Amino acid sequence: MGQKLLIVDDEAHIRMLIEQTLEDLEDEGVDLLFAENGEEALNLIKEEEPNLVFLDVMMPKMNGMEVCQIVKKELNLAHVYIILLTAKGQEVDRQKGLDMGADRYMTKPFDPDEMLAVAEEILKV
Amino acid sequence: MTRQTDSKYYLKALKNILRKGKDSQSTLSDIASKLGLNFGVIGCDEKLLLGTFSEEFQSFNLSLDDVVYGRLLTSNEDGRLLANIIMVLVEKELEKKKIGNEVLGLYREINMIYSFSEMISEKIDEKSIAEMALREASQIINSTHGLFLIYEPKQNEVVELASFGLNPEKEKNIHKLNVLLKELINRGTSAIVPSDKIIDNPALNHLKTIMYAPLKVKHRTLGIVILGHNDEKEFTAAELKLLTTISLQSAGALETAHLYQKGLQEAKEREEAIRSIHEVSQKFVPNEFIKSLGKDRLTEVSLGDLVEKEVTVVFADIREFTTISENLNPEDNFLFINSFNKRMGPIVRKNGGFIMQYLGDGFMALFPNGSQTALRASVEMHSELRIFNEERAVKKRFPIKLGIGMQNGNLIMGITGDIERLDAAIISDTVNTASRIEGLSKHYGSSILLTDNCKNNLTHPEEFDFRYLGPVQVKGKQKPIDLYECINGDSEQLLKHKLATLNTFEEGMKQYFMKEFAMAAVTFQQIVKKERNDSAAKLFLNRSAHMITQETGDDWKGIASISSK
Repeated sequence: MGQKLLIVDDEAHIRMLIEQTLEDLEDEGVDLLFAENGEEALNLIKEEEPNLVFLDVMMPKMNGMEVCQIVKKELNLAHVYIILLTAKGQEVDRQKGLDMGADRYMTKPFDPDEMLAVAEEILKV
Repeated sequence: MTRQTDSKYYLKALKNILRKGKDSQSTLSDIASKLGLNFGVIGCDEKLLLGTFSEEFQSFNLSLDDVVYGRLLTSNEDGRLLANIIMVLVEKELEKKKIGNEVLGLYREINMIYSFSEMISEKIDEKSIAEMALREASQIINSTHGLFLIYEPKQNEVVELASFGLNPEKEKNIHKLNVLLKELINRGTSAIVPSDKIIDNPALNHLKTIMYAPLKVKHRTLGIVILGHNDEKEFTAAELKLLTTISLQSAGALETAHLYQKGLQEAKEREEAIRSIHEVSQKFVPNEFIKSLGKDRLTEVSLGDLVEKEVTVVFADIREFTTISENLNPEDNFLFINSFNKRMGPIVRKNGGFIMQYLGDGFMALFPNGSQTALRASVEMHSELRIFNEERAVKKRFPIKLGIGMQNGNLIMGITGDIERLDAAIISDTVNTASRIEGLSKHYGSSILLTDNCKNNLTHPEEFDFRYLGPVQVKGKQKPIDLYECINGDSEQLLKHKLATLNTFEEGMKQYFMKEFAMAAVTFQQIVKKERNDSAAKLFLNRSAHMITQETGDDWKGIASISSK
């Protein structure tokens, strides 16, 4: 069965950037999914149970922290690997994010090469 | 790109629209059913991507710029329309990809500059700024050579802070290069230098292409960053823009580093100035005095600070100073006093004391650790003086004599004066007594005189030899004070004599105080006969002889009353 990777960000250009960054994964049979807010993300996670989620923290409607908390603490979807994305300079959120059950933390602007390497490592492709 | 990589690239776009784009899939199916046909899409790798087909289906090539990346198979000829739609969708997808790639490229740059400026702002020395700038630049701009230079206006020199890939031979040609670089730096612009323009410069002529960007802060140019390549590759405008950005960031960091170093240097100088003032002030007001007040430095003391302490007060005085100074002009007088003080001060400090005050013909020293240390210092001062006198004798100068008196007791050290003028002061009767005792040393002809109080305070009295000189009524004191002479400060000859006659002297004193004046006179006469310079023995010989003819009442206790000083 193919693996699924969910990209969650309210900004279209960031979604596009991440898609472009992770494009090569599609050749490895990884499906890229997209959501533009927390609610949409939560529904997709419930429905598709992606292997990996890049989750922006600051979003309208439900923010990334809340999504993360519901997924990890209420739905108990431990196998959904969540990487939180937050703007640089807001590293104070780091511990909070990890407390909410996030598996990893990445700051924006992100280093595309690093992001791809991390995704490959987690999806083992 | 070759045609083959093109076709793969196009195939990927085709896959994208068929797989991901649910909208485009249903649009294709809608159109197909309106046209009443079945279809299948096959990639140029001959794999079926969508739909089904059979042998009799017609085939339409899916291509872009004559590069075929797949085929559409349809059950009738109207499939051409569907093929055209697919090709338009693929073209749109490719455009999107192209923009996406460009944006990602820009994003990479932003990310690089972001992390570069973050890292470089943490650097505070020029060299590591330069090294980091070249490292980052070489990572994103394909180059074989790099040079980070700054211009030092003071020396009118261009200095290399960092480089990579450069021929070690360049050192030979650096003077030729200097002119070129100064010119480049003066220009303050960035540029790509075409290969034919660099041949003339010996240090760089093995490079096929170079580009440079100035290190600029506002309108000042601090230096220049140069990248080079030894292949026929030309640098692009985009790469020059990147190098310019790196240079700008580096220049900002250099400026900050300069300011930081300047601030550090200034702080250092200020501290140095304060420290030297502190050092000088320590020489005027002894640190021990300040420490006694429980303060660390002179700046912390204030009017009214005081402390009461038990100390030994030592007065040291050059005998017959008035006679000496009469024969010297004021300058020589001063030189003479200084040559004396210079030798005594270290002895006082070595023994844990400090000189509270210079008194013209001598000084007053305080010994917070008690009379043992004070007496040791006094004996040492006398032996140092003998060395000093030997040196003076060689220069045909008269010998100096020193009298020392000491007393032990409480004294109050404090800061006195007013808001505008402060001084370290001590208030104590002990000081007066010590001064009087020193005065008495002249009368008794002793090198060191101390009170019983002082002698009792000794922790190791066996270190020294004493002669008891009886009680004396000191002016301004109600009770008489018992006086002792420490003989260890005397010359070798005199010390030998006094040690040999120690018991005889004690016997004479006993007889004197028992009013056996005639016998005392005989005893002291024996001592004086052996050594005419034994002043104390001579004094008691005279006193005894005098007392023979005097009437003494029951209350006579032999208390001496001396009116000098």
